[in-house]
Amino acid sequence: MAKGKGSRSKGGRSAFSGLSVVASAVLLFMVALPTFITLTVGLLPSLVAFIFDRSPGRTMARCVFGLNFSGVAPYILEIWQQPAQTVGGATQEIFQPLALSIMYGAAGLGWLLYLAMPPIVANVLNLSAQRRVSELRKKQRGLIKTWGDSLIKEVDRSGN
Amino acid sequence: MAEQAEDQEQDVSNGAATEPVMDAPGGGSVAPEEPETGSDSEDVALNAGGKSVEIGNFRVFMDLRLPEFDMGHCKAFSADNLRRDEGNAFALVTDPVLPTRHDHLVFLTGMHMAGQIDLIDYEIAFWPPFGRKTMVLFYDKPSGGKVVPRENKKLAIDEHDIGTVVVEPLLSVLQAFGEKGLAHRNIRADNLFFADPMREKVVLGDCASGPPGYDQPSVYETTARMSAEPAGRGSGNLTDDFYALGMMLAELGVGRQPLKKLNDQEIMELKLAKGSFQAIASQEKLPLILIEPVRGLLCDDPEERWGFAELNAWLDGRRTKPVQANTEKRAARAQNLAGRDYYTVRALAQAISKNWVTALGPLRDSTVEIWLRRGLGDNERAKALSDAMRQLQWAGTDKRSAEDVLVARSILILDPSGPVRFKGFSAMVDGLGFMLSYDVQHGRGPQRFADVIVRDIPSFWFGRQEGYSPEVQKQQQLYKNLRYYIQQQSAGYGYERCLYATVRNQHCLSPLVEEEFVIDVADLLPALEKAAETASEDSWPVDRHIAAFIATRLEDDVEGQLMAMQNPSDEVEYSRAIISMLAIVQWRHGPDNLQNLSHWVARLMEPAIKVFHSKARRERVETEIPKLAKRGNLVELYNLINDEQERRKDQSEFVEAVAEYSEAESEVFDLESSGPARMELAEKVGQQAAAFASTMIALLTVSALFLMHIF
Repeated sequence: MAKGKGSRSKGGRSAFSGLSVVASAVLLFMVALPTFITLTVGLLPSLVAFIFDRSPGRTMARCVFGLNFSGVAPYILEIWQQPAQTVGGATQEIFQPLALSIMYGAAGLGWLLYLAMPPIVANVLNLSAQRRVSELRKKQRGLIKTWGDSLIKEVDRSGN
Repeated sequence: MAEQAEDQEQDVSNGAATEPVMDAPGGGSVAPEEPETGSDSEDVALNAGGKSVEIGNFRVFMDLRLPEFDMGHCKAFSADNLRRDEGNAFALVTDPVLPTRHDHLVFLTGMHMAGQIDLIDYEIAFWPPFGRKTMVLFYDKPSGGKVVPRENKKLAIDEHDIGTVVVEPLLSVLQAFGEKGLAHRNIRADNLFFADPMREKVVLGDCASGPPGYDQPSVYETTARMSAEPAGRGSGNLTDDFYALGMMLAELGVGRQPLKKLNDQEIMELKLAKGSFQAIASQEKLPLILIEPVRGLLCDDPEERWGFAELNAWLDGRRTKPVQANTEKRAARAQNLAGRDYYTVRALAQAISKNWVTALGPLRDSTVEIWLRRGLGDNERAKALSDAMRQLQWAGTDKRSAEDVLVARSILILDPSGPVRFKGFSAMVDGLGFMLSYDVQHGRGPQRFADVIVRDIPSFWFGRQEGYSPEVQKQQQLYKNLRYYIQQQSAGYGYERCLYATVRNQHCLSPLVEEEFVIDVADLLPALEKAAETASEDSWPVDRHIAAFIATRLEDDVEGQLMAMQNPSDEVEYSRAIISMLAIVQWRHGPDNLQNLSHWVARLMEPAIKVFHSKARRERVETEIPKLAKRGNLVELYNLINDEQERRKDQSEFVEAVAEYSEAESEVFDLESSGPARMELAEKVGQQAAAFASTMIALLTVSALFLMHIF
């Protein structure tokens, strides 16, 4: 019951979040069309990632979006600095190969970060476990040295 | 079956006819072939010619035999008292395979008693002809010589003087023994000596050199005790001494041993048929003056038998109450057994004991019961026999054993005052210990004794005794202990414990110390110290005999140690118990330095060191052991492995270490077996970390751009 209620509220929050994004996009489209175009074109990889990433927490999409947005942000700022924000100026600026490379390259780096981080963490965890095992074995060797084989026999006996 | 019966019968008939041979230890059965002269030099020094030995304060001349003073199975040798010039001592060498009588030795040593030969001292010493240690008694030589001449010379006492010369001194001896609760049990003409050259008084000879009554001719024993084997005739009481006194008077009166022409069986039958006095009177010509005391003293009923009052009255010339000639009831018709007719219950009991297998038939088909009822009119005995028969019907699978018990019980029903008889075994209840000692040391082994105790025959004997007797009560208490001991299988119990508990002067029969003739527990460790010189590496210094010997003779309770010895496979506890037992003996009785034994014990301490778990502690103990062994102190060795505080500390630390090791093992197992889970975790954490980093980069970029725009 509680679970059903929880999932319903989660779904509701997600729908609300999606709705707010759409509402923001519509508002942006009406108020600042050049910015809207720049964001839409620049954040296209993030959009794709959000569509395809169905994992809980959508970590891949968040990775891609973070760096993708870092790549798009300078061009948004550049548009905002122009005295007359026009759709033509915006399209001209963003469809330059360098700009697209920077924006989409940043998104690619986000994806690479997502791929590279788990093996790095796994290695760290494995190394830590190996060090602990080595410490414990050393401690056991010390105990055997102090108490002799009778310790092993007693451990075996109590284990049985 | 028939063959077995034949064999059994043969065994029974041969069993009782064991006469001691006097020339060698053990009646010649176990004497060493080549005596190792000079092998023992502790307190015995052989002179250059090997003809004399110094034993304590005496020099004993081995080539100067004094056959006149041989007493029973013991040989007499000339001896000099090295500390006193006057006096004329002689040494009586006891048989090492026959136990001496402790209470009598303690009572008589150093005491002068009119009528009893003076026992100056006694020593345990190496006796070269035996090649081993034995007990040597030193007596003051009676100056008048033996009363009974060796050759058939005329008796030296006139029959009219027997009262003053013989009876008076002997009465004072019996009085003194009676006050101590002892019986002499060696009163016979052959053991009588003139105390002075004038031959005015006599003294009785030795009574401590062997089992009670062992050397007595069977005619000197009451019918009850003569049915027992010589070694099992029992300690007896004063009434037995009075009976022997009566027979001795008869011998002195007649001039030779009465009924000597008859064998033991014939004497027994004659006594049972006619009564003791009539048996003598019918065969021998007694002097008129002695008829009255001999009749009174040979009365077969101990209650009616003459005692001090009657003998004193006779000495004073007063008349005493007449004594019934024969109190044994005679049946109207005979009971036949193995082709012979018997008219009295005791004669029949004796016949049954001699015809063990054939007696079962008449017992089982109630012939004997009917004879008791109709022939004798003894309904009480008939009922007891019928009850015993009924118990046979309840017997389980071991029918043969139940039949043996029936025969043994039937004998006791017919002759309740007689010995406990079981197949070939025949011993009075107060002679069970000496009988066991004889059996064990003469190659028969303890089985016969064990059979009697396991089948609880003595309990039946106690049940058949009438009236209250403190002696019987005491014996009953002792018997309960024997039964308990024999039922226990472990070291420190068994027949060995029974042996040492019943015979105070039984030397320890452990092969390790047997030749050292250890009677007192204080002598045990020095003997073991000697044995340690040649002991094999893997043998233990405490065997079943030594454990039982210590348990019986030591003042301290060693039941805890015996309990620990019940399980030899538990080497740690077993070795600790042995070391503990020896340490207690050393602590109580010394000596302080036992180097050989300490080294022996140290070799065997390896399992005991295992009481410590810590290697460091073990190493410390291992280093300490040789040092302490060198000092020869078993108590210190024991304390080393029995430091309770250290042991407890070691144990608690060991328990902690085991727990620590187990926890570590479990953690290692968890770490080693959690690979897939860790990978899963790493992926999850990695992805989240990547997302977080990405978000942070975005925030930093935006912040940096804003700042650049502002400034």
